[in-house]
Amino acid sequence: MMFTTNPFTTLTDFVPLEVIQGYVILMIVAVAAGTVFDLLHDSKARFFLQDRQRAKAAARRQLSATELAAIAAKTITTDIATFGEFCNQRRRISHALMFYGFVLYLLTSMAMVFAYPSATPVVLPVLWNLGVVMTLVGGYWFFFLLRVNVVHDGQPPWRLVRADLFIVTLLASLTFALIFEWAALSENTATTKVFAGLYILFTTLLCVSVPWSKFAHMFYKPVVAFQRRVEEADGSSSLPMPTAPRGERCPHSHT
Amino acid sequence: MPTFTYMTRCDGCGECVDICPSDIMHIDPVYRRSYNIEPNFCWECYSCVKACPQHAIDVRGYADFAPLGHSVRVLREEANGTISWKIRYRDGREKQFSFPIRTTPWGSIKPPTDYAAPDAAALDSPLLAHEPEMLMVAALPALTGNKQG
Repeated sequence: MMFTTNPFTTLTDFVPLEVIQGYVILMIVAVAAGTVFDLLHDSKARFFLQDRQRAKAAARRQLSATELAAIAAKTITTDIATFGEFCNQRRRISHALMFYGFVLYLLTSMAMVFAYPSATPVVLPVLWNLGVVMTLVGGYWFFFLLRVNVVHDGQPPWRLVRADLFIVTLLASLTFALIFEWAALSENTATTKVFAGLYILFTTLLCVSVPWSKFAHMFYKPVVAFQRRVEEADGSSSLPMPTAPRGERCPHSHT
Repeated sequence: MPTFTYMTRCDGCGECVDICPSDIMHIDPVYRRSYNIEPNFCWECYSCVKACPQHAIDVRGYADFAPLGHSVRVLREEANGTISWKIRYRDGREKQFSFPIRTTPWGSIKPPTDYAAPDAAALDSPLLAHEPEMLMVAALPALTGNKQG
């Protein structure tokens, strides 16, 4: 039954379980290697470290370990968990849907492939489907209605640029995941093979295109948010001190 | 003194694209962050710098009067009606100035589109649209008599 059956069980009819597990590990390695390559090739790491040194030299005071821990906690609760960086609430909700949906999808996929390939608890496929649907809702909303080059630069939604590589491969991968699940559970072998192939194709593209796509921004953003908060706290920020006690996070916006 | 964007701070919201009077702030096709497509045409109006919610846009001063190593950053707090500038000199000195920028709440002034369009007969009038009521006077002085050329 759809939503309550492990979709990867059907895949083992065509491919040995060990191959599926090996593929998942390979994709994790591809994402990690792609992120490291991106950090080094574009000198992102060098620029970030240089900027940190500049900030350290300009710091007015040293932060204690307790203050750093408090800043880290604030970064986790505000910038990572609730996407506090976004002033546009629609973009914030869409990113939250995509992030939590994708994480749910990843964790349940790993659990169903590695821990429960058979006798899967019902909760896992339910959460897997929930994750896929959340990502697709947030993703298609973003793709058609929120992309900044479409909304503000006036470009048509179908004009794809390199910045779309991540969102397009993510949406294609998860859309075909859902169709593959439907095909697998309807026990149509040919359709299942076609959509499983498309699912694997776009998942592979999603994971191996990290050096050229925006995939790694998920890892960079929290680090930058933490650094920004540290600079505000130790006085090294080049921005003026707010005149109001708590400052103004999101100014008036017409969007 | 063209503007430039700190890519790590920009969240790609598009506020600068909308506000730039030169239409030179656009969205980068690789990173989907803002960038100045034509620095030569930037007239340093600071509209994008002040409007950016992430304070991700800065202005690079010409080296003859703003030597390398300086910094001029601005923070506009619309709820308070203030604007603050922080100047950092090359030798490390810093100065901060804060000014009031208005006496009415942000967003309380109606844009032109919220007013009724004048009718065609108004073209023959020497008055501008919505004069004299917008000047809060009963009437404006008018020319009397014929001018002799």
